[in-house]
Amino acid sequence: MKKMWLFALVVALLAGVAVAGQAKTLHWNLGAEPPSLDPSLATDTTSHLILKQMFISLCQFDDATMAVLPDLATSWEFDAATVTWTFHLRDDVRWTDRNWTLSGIPVTAGDVEYGIKRLLAPETASEYAYVLYLIKGAEAYNTGVGSADDVGVKALDNQTVAITLNFPAGYFPTMAALWLCAPLPKVAIERYGDKWTEPENIVTNGPYILSEWVHDASLVLVKNVAYYDVANVKIDEVRCTIVVEASTVMAMYEAGDLDVDDNPPLEDMDRIKSDPVLSLELAQAPRLCTYRYGLNAAKPPLDNILVRKALASSVDRQSLIDYVLKGNQRPAQTWTPPGIFGYVDGVSLGIGYPYDPEAAKQYLADAGYPGGVGFPEVTLMVNTSQGHQKIAQFIGQGWMDTLGIKINITNQEWGVYLATCHADAPQVFRMGWCADYPDGNNWMNDVFHSGSGNNYEKYDSPAFDALVEQAAVETDPAVRLDLYKQAEILICDTDVAFIPIYFYTFNQLTKPYVVRTFAAIGGESWKNWDILDH
Amino acid sequence: MFQFILRRMLWTIPVIFVVSALTFVLMHSVPGSPFTRERALPAAIQKNLEAKYHLNDPLWKQYGDYMWGFIRLDFGPSIAYRARTVNEILAQQWPVTMTLGAVAFVFAACLGIPLGILSAVKQNTLIDHSSMVVAMLGVSIPSIALGPFLIWIFALKLKWLPVATWGTPAHIVLPALTLSTFYLSRFARITRASMLQVTREEYIVTARAKGVRESVVNLKHAFRNALIPVTTIAGPAFADILTGSLVVEQIFGIPGIGKYYVTSIANRDYPVIMATTLIFALLIIFMNLLVDISYALLDPRIRYN
Repeated sequence: MKKMWLFALVVALLAGVAVAGQAKTLHWNLGAEPPSLDPSLATDTTSHLILKQMFISLCQFDDATMAVLPDLATSWEFDAATVTWTFHLRDDVRWTDRNWTLSGIPVTAGDVEYGIKRLLAPETASEYAYVLYLIKGAEAYNTGVGSADDVGVKALDNQTVAITLNFPAGYFPTMAALWLCAPLPKVAIERYGDKWTEPENIVTNGPYILSEWVHDASLVLVKNVAYYDVANVKIDEVRCTIVVEASTVMAMYEAGDLDVDDNPPLEDMDRIKSDPVLSLELAQAPRLCTYRYGLNAAKPPLDNILVRKALASSVDRQSLIDYVLKGNQRPAQTWTPPGIFGYVDGVSLGIGYPYDPEAAKQYLADAGYPGGVGFPEVTLMVNTSQGHQKIAQFIGQGWMDTLGIKINITNQEWGVYLATCHADAPQVFRMGWCADYPDGNNWMNDVFHSGSGNNYEKYDSPAFDALVEQAAVETDPAVRLDLYKQAEILICDTDVAFIPIYFYTFNQLTKPYVVRTFAAIGGESWKNWDILDH
Repeated sequence: MFQFILRRMLWTIPVIFVVSALTFVLMHSVPGSPFTRERALPAAIQKNLEAKYHLNDPLWKQYGDYMWGFIRLDFGPSIAYRARTVNEILAQQWPVTMTLGAVAFVFAACLGIPLGILSAVKQNTLIDHSSMVVAMLGVSIPSIALGPFLIWIFALKLKWLPVATWGTPAHIVLPALTLSTFYLSRFARITRASMLQVTREEYIVTARAKGVRESVVNLKHAFRNALIPVTTIAGPAFADILTGSLVVEQIFGIPGIGKYYVTSIANRDYPVIMATTLIFALLIIFMNLLVDISYALLDPRIRYN
């Protein structure tokens, strides 16, 4: 009976398409083969982009404002007594697969419970499990000392799921909008194991279905007619090529084979900006990532705070952006980027160290090295990449010219580099961070808490730890904002643990007939796009 | 001859073991594991993952397990791509690289050798000089410059061919052309030099004196003997074309095995590294054997015993 209904819907849709004219197809390029389309395992931006189209989660983000909106959950409330968030789910969401064999089964709260527990299961070995450690019993279960039954996620009935936390986290709804809290299809996963993400096996519930995936070559998504909001989805099909080389992708865009180029090569930026056609197709949008130079304060001469202040004050961010990066990035004097709750405008508030060569020279002189005399050579290490190398040369040269010191620029292959930074970071090393979820906790606590594995600077400040721990459990947004401001002042201004360099931007070329949005957190919402006749 | 081939094939076994042992030791001595990540994994998770892939076993056991699987043609799982096994990766992508390599080789041989013969026969004429200039350009311009240049001319300006990706015969033309130019030029130059040397031999003079037609002298007598030095480079040429395909596959977005040679090392994907290296070694051994057999076919004076 259900199959008849779905079949009729497909026929109606196809008829509608035939009447309306050509099917609307978006031609996109994925810059890499997705390593995994399993929501529990995916860690990279390419996989997340595709996953966002195929799976829905409890909540979703407004692309522009980052506000948390309903998706699978229509409403949610917090009970302070039990420290529990309760989510109320829609009852009209269905699982779908390419062959309509496992289709029509409703998505329930039990699927949400299964999805979260599977993510936390030690056998799954998910890299993002740590983000959900704020759920009761999650860390114990994930590290193998607890059981799945003690994890604080319970399906109270088919349409209600209760999530109990270790502390009242005001930012939990932002996590509910992540792929981490997405319901997963237990039957398909148990039936197909590691292969459940292949197009012939995969079962999803989002606006698009994975129709075809030729590894390393192409990937095709088609509109899911059983999606609960399918009436508003305009694009019928997304055809993705998988070409890694950015200059080739640019050529494909110019030849008309692609509708969007989301990664135009740096070498072409000048030509694009001066081209009458391409300059109108170029758009720049904020991207929630920050680039930093970490400072290892355990290694002399960086153990002297005046030396760190001197280095921080002699980075000409604006020239770097204008002449090297060329992407209208924004200079950063603090860590959390604009758009994330907890951001403070360091530049206008005077937090951090702006470019001030005279002040830099003075700091260095006060540190005992006037004019750079007697200053030992400092190593600046980046991971092997042309882009990072150019930035290092620019900043390193700036230090040599302004301060009269010697900088040794080296690079290591990414895997070796991480191992080096983990074991014994060089004096100055390059790192970046992109938002997992739009809250300052992801930037301050998850990265720079003294116990964090992402804290390559090994920054250890009890005062800082206290601030971010308090902000994590605080429920009043105004108080939280002030706590994060104090934390930024402490780490960027008072202690100079690292030098923030710039906030990333997206530079994308889009054909004029594509009506689109920009997702600052990454992962475009193709369900909201449209393609005009052309 | 049969004994010769048999002996060569038996020699393959120790060679493969040496190559595999060297590769294994090298890849395990590089710092970093397949699970080194920017966002550090909890120690318990990392241990679980390493146990799943038997990375906690002693190295000699890991090596033994891998080679036992290799002999039974089971190349193991890919650590970086959890939904795919190495067998699947090879089965899907190796044919693409072989097709590209074979077409490039055919271009190189079928365009290069006749060009060399023509230059030798018309020595010191305009044809000769211009062919050798083209050959020199082909040897000097790297594929990383030639590929985008050909895309710009034939795909963007003239719109005769697609820019990139794979699927139709039209998609093979530009990448194969880019890949073939180096060996096309080498074939042309070596054929020319070899022909020039052979046409000075006494039996060629005799043939002409007997009144044999010039074309028969060139193609039947001179060319066949001139082919031996050409064959010498044909074996390594095919192997080189397959490695060179890595860059061309990257430029043209072709789903071949080339990129796995590089990415598997960056990912520390041990099973893929072993499989790609060993298969390449087998290929080189096989091509060299073919070259040696063809010597015997071309020159009856050569005997293997």
